[in-house]
Amino acid sequence: MTLTQDPTQTDRGNGDGRYDNLPTVSPLGNPLDWKWLRGAKSEWGVRPKIGPRGLTMLDIATGTYGDVPDNPTHRSMAPRGADIDPDTPDMGYILNKKSDVWAENVVELYEEAVARQWSATRDIPWGELRELPSDIEHAMCQVCTTLTEVEMIAADLPAKWMWRMNHDFLEAKMFLCTQIMDEARHAEVFRKRALANGGGLLMSRGQSEGLLRTIIEAKSYTQATALMHLLGEGFILDIFRMGELISPSPVEKRMFRMAMQDEARHVAYGTMHIRYAVEQDPDVAEEIHEALDHGEAVLTAFGTNQDFGTALAVLLGGGVEHVETKGFELQADMQRKQFASYLARCERAGISRLHRTKLPLELLGLDPNTILAN
Amino acid sequence: MRIDTEAFFVALADELNAHPEQFKVHGEADMVAALVMRKADGDFAVRVAFEGIRVEAVSEIVPADVVGADYYLDGPLPAWQAMFDDILANGAASGRLTINSLALLGTEIRLRGDDPMGVDKFSRFNQTLQEYLDGAARVAVAAG
Repeated sequence: MTLTQDPTQTDRGNGDGRYDNLPTVSPLGNPLDWKWLRGAKSEWGVRPKIGPRGLTMLDIATGTYGDVPDNPTHRSMAPRGADIDPDTPDMGYILNKKSDVWAENVVELYEEAVARQWSATRDIPWGELRELPSDIEHAMCQVCTTLTEVEMIAADLPAKWMWRMNHDFLEAKMFLCTQIMDEARHAEVFRKRALANGGGLLMSRGQSEGLLRTIIEAKSYTQATALMHLLGEGFILDIFRMGELISPSPVEKRMFRMAMQDEARHVAYGTMHIRYAVEQDPDVAEEIHEALDHGEAVLTAFGTNQDFGTALAVLLGGGVEHVETKGFELQADMQRKQFASYLARCERAGISRLHRTKLPLELLGLDPNTILAN
Repeated sequence: MRIDTEAFFVALADELNAHPEQFKVHGEADMVAALVMRKADGDFAVRVAFEGIRVEAVSEIVPADVVGADYYLDGPLPAWQAMFDDILANGAASGRLTINSLALLGTEIRLRGDDPMGVDKFSRFNQTLQEYLDGAARVAVAAG
């Protein structure tokens, strides 16, 4: 492996002067310097080791190609590690610090996402849907209506910011592309379920949109990812985990299980991104706290959404006749778990919310001093 | 075969590794899970390492060593037996006896771990773990 220092050098291990007499002008009269062949200032001779599962992004993060700069010097789409002309155009990136977007696990998560894609058309046993009691079908359709509504925020949000991310953070952008695909599939699968069994889409009200608007209007990407990955998707992840408990048939079980795996990846990225951002610049923590102060209050309003909440409770209880005796109680149990897992993730992300959270811990009988012990 | 033995979990691994088509649909998984079965005559714990589309290692461990895993699932032996009995009866976990539902309810089998990111691997690779456990339906299992 060599790093060519002199652009006029003709031998990159494969030249031996053979390229000295190449044409200096193209057939159309344009000057030719053959720089790519005669010695671009980039690392040559890279031979990554191919692993048992093929050639991964981790495998090719070798030598200088594995170095992700903290502060890239250019603002173009030129690939990191290439010999980049100094006059490449500025693409208008505003997220130019690695800590703005990076997470230590992002390359691993990208490979995981690619390896674990699934199809809402093919991998859900739609043929096993059976007619359900009216209240259960209505409840499932309401849950799917709300999920269809909220899932695409996790596609719109990265899309809003990705074109502002410096291209040297390619792997982070690639991961966010997988997230966008995941969320498209989630919107697809929940919409399909709402329409697949004799029901349809039901209620959409303001509380959901308020949460989505808060996320999409976040002032910085790190605030946005705290609101979306850590808070929003963290809560949705727990709802997907709950999916098996509210599923009347193998169709919904499968749907929630598959979506759960995707969602957990997104949460893993967000948690580790925030951790990285705070480690690199502790001042960012307060910015994140402020976003979460507001986000938690809005999420609480979303949690009181009567349509989604009562539909979940009906499914948890097994029908409207059990909603008061069983459904609401199980739902409160689930909310306690949601709060606990969210606060645990915040700890892991390096932004303790235990004594600052706006979530109604007291209302659910939770003590911030012991909530993480279990 | 008793479920509280390393041999049982090795058999599940062999079953899975012999049928990659069962696993491949879920994609690759890299995680180390531990299972702990509490019982009167001494607790049993096992660590299962998943890599790619294979189970690469299974080893009995002392329960205190579960902290080395990404996460661990901890419950009384009868709860585990009920889960595997359900898998045997239905060919795969059903109802609220899937590992996800059991861990979510947390009344008997609890999902634990020191690192939330490790614990989240339970969700990220849940179907892989479930497929592994469902292999019990295909290997000889004798209760208790």
